[in-house]
Amino acid sequence: MMRLRSRLARAVAVGAALALALPLAACGGDDAGGEADQIRILVYGDATNKVETQIVDTFNKTSKVKAVLDTIPGADYQTKLQTIINTNQAPDVFFNWGGGSIAPFVKANLLLPLDDMIAKDPGLKENFLPSVFNSAVVDGKAYGIPMRGTQPVMLFYNKKVLADAGLTPPKTWDELLNAVNVLKAKKITPIALGGGDKWPTQMWYQYLYDRVAGPELFRSALGGDKSVWESAESRRALELMRQLTDAGAFGTNFDSVKWTDQGSPTLLSTGKAGFELMGSWAYSTHQDSKPEFAKNDLGWTAFPSIPGGKGDPRNVAGNTNNFYSVLKKTKHPEAVAEFLKLMYSDEFVQAQLGIGNLPTTVNTEKFLDTAGNPEYSKFQFDMVKQAPSFQLSWDQAYPPAATTTIHQAVQQYTNGRMDADGFIKAMQSLQAG
Amino acid sequence: MAATTLAPRTTTGERWAVRRPGGGVTLARPGFAWALPATLFFAFFAIVPLVLVVVLSVTSWAGIGDVEYVGLANWRRLADDPVMIDSLWLSVLLTALGVAVQTPLSLLIGVWAAGQQRNRAVLSAIFFLPLLLSATAVSVLWRALLDPNFGVPGQARWLFGDGNLFGSRTGAIAVLVLVGSWQYIPFHSLIYQGAARAIPAVLYQAAEIDGAGRWHQFWHVTLPQLRNAMITSLVIMVVGGLTTFETVLILTQGGPGTDTTITAYYMYQQAFRSFDFGAGAAIALLLVVVATVISLIMVRVSGYDKMRSTLEGL
Repeated sequence: MMRLRSRLARAVAVGAALALALPLAACGGDDAGGEADQIRILVYGDATNKVETQIVDTFNKTSKVKAVLDTIPGADYQTKLQTIINTNQAPDVFFNWGGGSIAPFVKANLLLPLDDMIAKDPGLKENFLPSVFNSAVVDGKAYGIPMRGTQPVMLFYNKKVLADAGLTPPKTWDELLNAVNVLKAKKITPIALGGGDKWPTQMWYQYLYDRVAGPELFRSALGGDKSVWESAESRRALELMRQLTDAGAFGTNFDSVKWTDQGSPTLLSTGKAGFELMGSWAYSTHQDSKPEFAKNDLGWTAFPSIPGGKGDPRNVAGNTNNFYSVLKKTKHPEAVAEFLKLMYSDEFVQAQLGIGNLPTTVNTEKFLDTAGNPEYSKFQFDMVKQAPSFQLSWDQAYPPAATTTIHQAVQQYTNGRMDADGFIKAMQSLQAG
Repeated sequence: MAATTLAPRTTTGERWAVRRPGGGVTLARPGFAWALPATLFFAFFAIVPLVLVVVLSVTSWAGIGDVEYVGLANWRRLADDPVMIDSLWLSVLLTALGVAVQTPLSLLIGVWAAGQQRNRAVLSAIFFLPLLLSATAVSVLWRALLDPNFGVPGQARWLFGDGNLFGSRTGAIAVLVLVGSWQYIPFHSLIYQGAARAIPAVLYQAAEIDGAGRWHQFWHVTLPQLRNAMITSLVIMVVGGLTTFETVLILTQGGPGTDTTITAYYMYQQAFRSFDFGAGAAIALLLVVVATVISLIMVRVSGYDKMRSTLEGL
């Protein structure tokens, strides 16, 4: 009996040791950074990967250090990035949204400031539109090179619905309110809103705050001055939003409507709604699902101006662009610099325009005629080029930790469950950078 | 141990039989080595992570940078967090509603499916389908079906009004209960079907001789015989209900506001959306404790741990 027992004990000990050793072995085995002569590039997995693959191939034709493209599909990108960025599986170069999406990495001292690269090749900065380039500048240092298309938010409308109601695209706030009343009287939802996704609701706040208070208010808030949320301008912006919801601009069931499951775009394309405030990707969404509508009846215009507002009516909000940032521990900074230079090459611009993206390089302008819809691309490009300020989407300007709070605040203020004081308090609870 | 002696190994059936000094023969437990594979598996995938979660819950960690020891700060924050307290209550409410809706329906369907009616096999097979779909697919499907303008509510205004199901707490909870039930009733029906099939026919014959009708047969024979199956099903429902996640993630994202932020979703939100792994770990631990306590109480109260046979005396 005793002998049996001790054999058992030994078996257990061996088993336990094995169990402990296993995870260590698993961690040690997959050392992606170990390859001596390659740089790993991590991007958000979607249709644009076509262009990224093409650019990587171009780079590999001439470079001794080879680039390898990895993709992480869809919505999990930020989560997965955050979990690998401090491990030896971290890439050398990675896709991001600039602003708050990289601020935590800068703070953790993981990213390479690109100022030295720019000093060697000023083109890495000069070839990009400044309002876009600046949204990946953190604490005065450049950390990102624009690498996809810009996605300004615009007011889209159904030309037929507006024409039938005798309306023209609104240029001012009062014209917008008037359009809301006219459409509502005709039993049409004036403005489609994918409130279930929450970020479409946030777009209204971004523009209202920018038009009423100018970009400075949000910049101060992001810089840590929480008192600006209590300012008269902040309250004025909230009042305007309340004016809109009280007028029934979004109907009553917007919390159950989503952009992401085609709910709100279909409202617009079927003429059940007159307007929708949305990022520039709306065009390709409509083109995919209803090409006839995109071609004939889809209209777009800038966000209306607000009388007495401090913000320049030419200001734009949305996703400035996506960026490539570089890890500090990359072994091949020179090769990375060469790779980044391709982001303002003619080949890159043409490839992006070919799939409907709008790059933000200065040479984009001369290729605009080759875009799928030159009229649309030119409108957007001019809008971004002329904008004195391009407000990065709030949930991307703040670090990812703030997203939930911002989204809940805009949803609850819009559906009336939260008053102005509640909204202000929620925004003041955010931790910047 | 000294008092027991190993019985002579005559047949495999008596291999573990132990003769007690008193004279009765009971079954001894096989050696621990038999449980080793399962124990190691459990240790590696349950105990080790659980210990790590305990450690993580007293730290502050954003997924990058250093793990910082913060003592009970996460716990104190949670104790003052209205969303946290609300989320526990919501988890319990959703679970209770799930049990209340699913149990009677699965019981009836299960007992019906155990019979010999015509078309029973075909209908059972159709009814079984939702179980073959992943919870994610089911949620995506229902989200589209319940679109206020282009889904069912858009066609049935008399019932749904403006169709703003995801805009109120009641509506959102109703959707979660409905979708959960639609998906899991087939599974619980299966448990009841199997158990109902195992009820000896003699019991019904005896009941018939005693003059019991259908109702009385169900009430006095079927139900008592299904006791153990019912407890099994209840425990699975409660633990499953407390850890529901995908349906909330896809259907409501915890909204409107925080109205359907149940504990499991709140944990995900804190850890993987806000990158506050310390708080996420603390919530996870709390959920483990609550779920364990509730399961223990259920097992104790129901006598499941004794597992008395329902066939005693037959």
